[in-house]
Amino acid sequence: MAVSALWRRMTLGDRLLLFVLLALILITLPVTRSQGKGARLLVEQDGAVLYAAPLTASGRWRFQGPLGESEIEVAHGGARIVSSPCPHKLCIALGRIAHPGELIACVPNHLLLRIEGESASSHDLITR
Amino acid sequence: MTSSPVDPSALAEARRSHFVALFTALAVGLHAVDVLLPSPLPWFRLGLANILTLVALFLYGDRAAWTVTLGRIGIGSLLLGRLFSPGFFLSFSGGVCAVMLMCGVRRFFPRLFGPIGISLLGAVGHVSGQLLIAWLLLVRHPDLWRLYPWLLLAALVSGLLNGFVADRVLEILRRHPAFAEEQG
Repeated sequence: MAVSALWRRMTLGDRLLLFVLLALILITLPVTRSQGKGARLLVEQDGAVLYAAPLTASGRWRFQGPLGESEIEVAHGGARIVSSPCPHKLCIALGRIAHPGELIACVPNHLLLRIEGESASSHDLITR
Repeated sequence: MTSSPVDPSALAEARRSHFVALFTALAVGLHAVDVLLPSPLPWFRLGLANILTLVALFLYGDRAAWTVTLGRIGIGSLLLGRLFSPGFFLSFSGGVCAVMLMCGVRRFFPRLFGPIGISLLGAVGHVSGQLLIAWLLLVRHPDLWRLYPWLLLAALVSGLLNGFVADRVLEILRRHPAFAEEQG
């Protein structure tokens, strides 16, 4: 067995170090779990905020625009536009947004959906 | 005083520099493999090149470990086209921290840790140095430190793996007459 072979080759110091590291990781790991909270959905029209609530609040809402009513759906931590009076329905085709920084814009109906929060999943840089 | 071609100390010195050069070349190769291997987590690298740093450290001491690491980072980055890119500085600071920690601990506690422990320390030093430079140069956001436990976990896995391999390599090399008189 590779594991027992590994264990046999370790000195007392190696083993101590391994346990200290494991303990350190187990203690500090729960701190990282609070990530991704505070992601909020904002619905804006011409710069005015019509709706702002955490993405965890599921439901359907209707918003009046210059062309008529658009309906958005918030479910499973994401948001999408389900119906819109705009001619090309591009906002519906954009699909679902769930991560901070993502947005859906319906230009004809002057509606902007965006998610606000600390972006946790994006990478600034990858090192090798 | 003349030194003949068979002067034992000159021979040992020549052998030493040849092997350090060979270790550096192998480290560059492993570094390239490491970078090119697809990884499920983009920030997770095995750090296979550290095997050669460990072997150099245990056979020839601090200076050889520095030569292998700095040579590997310099030549490896040049070959992969990443010299002086932001990623290069992270790699560089990680390497420097790793070797500092490995050499320092080995100097002050020469008998406490074997290759596996020193490998773990090197991996921990590498992620710590990287994160520190990332913090100083790139992202001044406290959330960056939330990555630290995950990086430590990755360091634990790769440190154990590399340490195990380095230990086996050292065992095989020490049985070879070319390395018979080197330090333990």
